[in-house]
Amino acid sequence: MSVVAKVGDEIPELVKHPTMRQLVQYAGASGDFYEIHYDQDFARSVSLPGVILHGLLKAGYLGQLLTDWIGDRGTLRSFDVSYRGVDVPGKPYRCRGRITKVDGKNVELEVWGEDENGQKTTLGTATVELD
Amino acid sequence: MAATDVVDRIKTHIGKTQKPVTALVEAGHLKRFAEAIGDPNPRWLEEAPPTFLVAIAPTSYHLDEAEQYGRGWLNGGNRFEYLEPVKVGDRITATGKVADVYEKSGSSGNLLFIIFETEYTNQHGRTVARLRGTAIRR
Repeated sequence: MSVVAKVGDEIPELVKHPTMRQLVQYAGASGDFYEIHYDQDFARSVSLPGVILHGLLKAGYLGQLLTDWIGDRGTLRSFDVSYRGVDVPGKPYRCRGRITKVDGKNVELEVWGEDENGQKTTLGTATVELD
Repeated sequence: MAATDVVDRIKTHIGKTQKPVTALVEAGHLKRFAEAIGDPNPRWLEEAPPTFLVAIAPTSYHLDEAEQYGRGWLNGGNRFEYLEPVKVGDRITATGKVADVYEKSGSSGNLLFIIFETEYTNQHGRTVARLRGTAIRR
């Protein structure tokens, strides 16, 4: 299947429903045991609203958004994410992306993660080389 | 200790390469990592998903001095560059360094930014990926 990639096109979105259990799973699988990701009292003691999602878990969600779209039709070449706001478990996290440049086989995208109010808490870019 | 002294001491780490960390990419680890993200793609039984390399070596190493600045850590961002796929059975060596350290004033006080860079090579000595991470003390 050939990919028809046009500037301005949105790629299919991915909605995640992170839970505290998933944060603990991610802590174990990634080796990041910083307490702000599973200890409510600790998280509040460092001025956070409570336990927050690992930035790299949100990057993992956006990575899935990209690899789901790419499938076996190309290769992810670079991926850049900037964490602009905190997200908490128990709330949906919506991953979206849009094509910003097409140059032959090379496609550039902007990707972002939104909280339940539509606030963009994670901003990113990606470059993909299509086959 | 004054914050400026702490910042000066952390800055002495800039450019220093850390002791490399080597780890085997294990099928069980890949499976647990993909499950934690909730990504059911069967491709990740054999191959590393985009953010997996952070799990085989830390994206930042422990800087004792940095703990004397502010109260906690935040992750500011991550940039991945992919050169070759990483598969089950690969032996990956991660070499990290502090690329930059700087202070910025934010709405709720000063923040300290520490930029870490990690290069990942495989058992054939080829670079498979590079990662740049921004760690923030606040």
